[in-house]
Amino acid sequence: MSFPADTIAALATPVGTAALALIRASGPAASTLVQEIFARAPLPRQAQHADYRDLQGVLIDDVLFTFFANPNSFTGEDSLEISCHGNPFIAQKILADLLARGCRSAEAGEFSKRAFLNGRLDLSQAEAVMDLIHARSDQALAAANQQLRGSLGRHMAELSTLLIKTLAHVEAYIDFPEEDLPTENRQNIDKDIDTLIINTDRLLATSHYGALLRNGIKTVILGEPNAGKSSLLNCLVGRERALVSSEPGTTRDYLEELIIVGPYCLRLIDTAGLNPKPALLEKRGIEKSREQAAEADLFLWVIDATRPRPDLPSEFSQHLTAKNTLVVYNKCDLPVIDPSPLPQPFQCVNISALTITGLTTLQDALAKMASSFQVNVGSEVIAINTRHTQSLEQAKKCLLAAKIKLAENVHSELLSSDLMTALESFAQISGKIDHERILDELFATFCIGK
Amino acid sequence: MGASTLLLTGNIDTIAQMSCNPAIGGQAKGQMVREIDALGGEMAINTDLTAIQFRLLNESKGPAVRSPRAQCDKKAYQFRLKHTLELQKNLQIFQATVTGLIYKNGRVVGCQTNLDIEFMGHTVVVTTGTFLRGLMHVGQNKNEGGRLGDFSAKTLSASLIEAGIELQRLKTGTPPRLLGRSINFTGLQEQKGDAKPTLFAFHDTRDPEDLFHVEQTGERRLGWSPGSEQVSCWMTYTTPASEKIVRDNLHKSAMYSGEIEGIGPRYCPSIEDKFVRFADKPRHLLFLEPEGRSTNEYYINGLSTSLPFDVQLDLVHSIPGLEQAVLLRPAYAVEYDFAPPTQLFPSLESRKAENLFLAGQINGTSGYEEAAAQGLIAGVNAVLKVRGEAPLIIQRHEGYIGVLIDDLVTKGTIEPYRMFTSRAEHRLLFNHGSAELRLIEHSKPHKLLSDSRISNISHKLSRVHYWQNYLENTRSGAGIWAEGIRRDKEIAILPSELNTETPEIREEVLYRVIYAGYLDRELRQVEKLKHVEKIRIPLEINYAAIPGMRRESALKLAQFRPQNLGQASRISGVNPADISILMIQIAAQRRAAEQS
Repeated sequence: MSFPADTIAALATPVGTAALALIRASGPAASTLVQEIFARAPLPRQAQHADYRDLQGVLIDDVLFTFFANPNSFTGEDSLEISCHGNPFIAQKILADLLARGCRSAEAGEFSKRAFLNGRLDLSQAEAVMDLIHARSDQALAAANQQLRGSLGRHMAELSTLLIKTLAHVEAYIDFPEEDLPTENRQNIDKDIDTLIINTDRLLATSHYGALLRNGIKTVILGEPNAGKSSLLNCLVGRERALVSSEPGTTRDYLEELIIVGPYCLRLIDTAGLNPKPALLEKRGIEKSREQAAEADLFLWVIDATRPRPDLPSEFSQHLTAKNTLVVYNKCDLPVIDPSPLPQPFQCVNISALTITGLTTLQDALAKMASSFQVNVGSEVIAINTRHTQSLEQAKKCLLAAKIKLAENVHSELLSSDLMTALESFAQISGKIDHERILDELFATFCIGK
Repeated sequence: MGASTLLLTGNIDTIAQMSCNPAIGGQAKGQMVREIDALGGEMAINTDLTAIQFRLLNESKGPAVRSPRAQCDKKAYQFRLKHTLELQKNLQIFQATVTGLIYKNGRVVGCQTNLDIEFMGHTVVVTTGTFLRGLMHVGQNKNEGGRLGDFSAKTLSASLIEAGIELQRLKTGTPPRLLGRSINFTGLQEQKGDAKPTLFAFHDTRDPEDLFHVEQTGERRLGWSPGSEQVSCWMTYTTPASEKIVRDNLHKSAMYSGEIEGIGPRYCPSIEDKFVRFADKPRHLLFLEPEGRSTNEYYINGLSTSLPFDVQLDLVHSIPGLEQAVLLRPAYAVEYDFAPPTQLFPSLESRKAENLFLAGQINGTSGYEEAAAQGLIAGVNAVLKVRGEAPLIIQRHEGYIGVLIDDLVTKGTIEPYRMFTSRAEHRLLFNHGSAELRLIEHSKPHKLLSDSRISNISHKLSRVHYWQNYLENTRSGAGIWAEGIRRDKEIAILPSELNTETPEIREEVLYRVIYAGYLDRELRQVEKLKHVEKIRIPLEINYAAIPGMRRESALKLAQFRPQNLGQASRISGVNPADISILMIQIAAQRRAAEQS
């Protein structure tokens, strides 16, 4: 059976639950990817250690990659598996880079589907595959489907309707050159395209929130050694968490845990203590902490309430604002000293991680901060996924191109080609849009016919 | 193709008679006529030789949507085509009205006629036009017939129903015809033909023996030198008085009084519809078009109506230039039976009766070009069926003919279907000049063109490829040729050797180079679609029994019975997830079959 000549890519492991994340790409471009990204020969079934650099040459992570030549792979096609560190942002960055290199974001169950169609799964598994695809779409896509039926679907329908109207105004003059139509109003078309771009942007703006919803809001716990950061983590997680990773062969210098506060998922990251005079061994840990801090959404600054507060190193404090930082005075079960004034008007809570007092106040405060990441489109909460983002970005690119064509007064057929491609991109989110609708709109708007 | 063929017609003298205005081409249709020419059809040559005015539409909208259009001499067009058929080898013509089809074991084996003569054949192509239970309306007046002055095929409908074919009604209309010398042309705007006519047929790849084969028999010619002595059309407008006449008499219109049950085309509304639906438009444009060189009859393009004759007369007289006009024939609406085309395979063979092919208005289309395209494909496939070969199916990305037939058989139609360029997803690939290059993949294996023409087209294609490659890869001064051409477009300097190629080759090369980015984008989209088009759906599939398939999708799929996954994905109401499930089911069945 022949296959589409495209290469698909996706995260193969659930985000954030393991120390390592696996990204899989399958399709004819897999071997080229190995050569382009790692400058290595695609040797089948050999795990190789390499730096992953993105298209711009920026180092993302050191990874292990394995190339599988067809038909000896899970899908039966040339495939590439990349294990990187379990940080979801690293995994997302690698995935985004693969997409930038021409891969397509895989649909739910698409790897299994390709595997099945290539005969890599036997017949007795056919029904199971079908169930799997369904299970995936029922569970993983439940939220997305709800969105599609509800708010996102409505927004997509509005976008498509406006785009169809715009197209009808272009098409009328192409398909009915002999008609006595009113003079073509290109300003209105330009205005409609602007509206389309603005509304596409509003949906695109929810992309980061969508990622936060799925991967958790990255919350970095900062503080001097022994301020009680790890106790705070354990307290919020509700169980003891090993202080070092038991994963062999990983070089993580921080701990990660997912917690739920209110309706939000937070990814707590316990960093190495910020010792002002670090020993040589601690330096690497602090380096890692700094990298974490640079990408954090929220900060929990833990201060030992029984001791005078040291200042944070400037490379950390520069990321902190009143909006993204919660100061936690720990050890409040012990005699505390008067706190020295904070550098910014941070919100503060008092807790004791040991006796678990003040936990509810802390959780409420966290939930309130998390809510500031929510992006509303009108009065609705929308969070699009990577696939939606890809389609919307493609649509936006075409709309911008159409705008330029309009300004430069190039042939209508090219203007229309851009708008049609934008419509196709919308359709990738909302399903097939029948071209008949353009004609419906056209006949409703213009008096056509001899 | 060499198959022994019989043409049965109710009236030999009305072969290729144009019931509506004698115009060929126009938006999308013009491109389709060139595709017909690329597949061996006669329409293009016949138009070139009998047209009295040529115009290229959409000059300013871009090369892909530029469409040739021609006004023909109605009688010359008809007579020349009749003559062509008479001289066609292996074709026998006979005048008789087909009254019914003869079936045997669910297959068509022949037809009955009003003369009680039965004709037997392996395959039958039925093209009824508007004659199938045709009923004409002029106000409250009704006459049976498919065209003014012609008969109605009344019993054939029953014969189709007998085979299990569902029939529905459609409606179309035609405006009044006027006596030219009663028209006052002073003050009317003139519309001339193009000084340099754009012809329909590909003359550059035809050797003399392919040209004008009627004209070469030594018999008296019916055509004339293409583009010579063109005539003008004239433009006028309705007046407020016209609107009042129409509004005051709406209740007498056959369409507005409920006399007509069929659905009419939106793109060709009656004047009643125009005034009612677009009340804010003060006046409507009308064209006065001559029907030929040897007649004084004029067609009023834009004044289709089913109002009674006396009202039509008042209406015509309310129009500038037509104050004293004499009507030769009234406008009328015609209702007729059609067989919803979702009952067809993409070969245009009926799903209900084997060896029966349907083409033209019986499939719900309107227009000479749409009919000709289907007639050609149905004819070729009727022959291939006899030979037991796979049918000729033009894909959606190959041409308007592909879009036309795919739309008909997968989506059906509720109004008379007309081709528009916006129906095509990839119309940038369908520039009219590339038709024979695009379709050589089909014309060559089926021998639809002469050997010399096939070899000329192959040569043309290789020259186009050579120059595309040359311009994209050869430096000229500071940059690559192609980049300069894309930047400077019309004013670009070309390699001098390219200027020695034929204008047709040069034009196609420049089109491909200037539009390279867009064509690549379209081709990438086509590639993505191609693989699903290749996955065939077994005929015996039971959609209701597919686990996980949504009921709504299963019902739609069962109703339309798509032949491949591409068609399935174009059926509205079938979502992508269900297509994936269907894909897996097909693969599972195939593997099961292979292993058993």
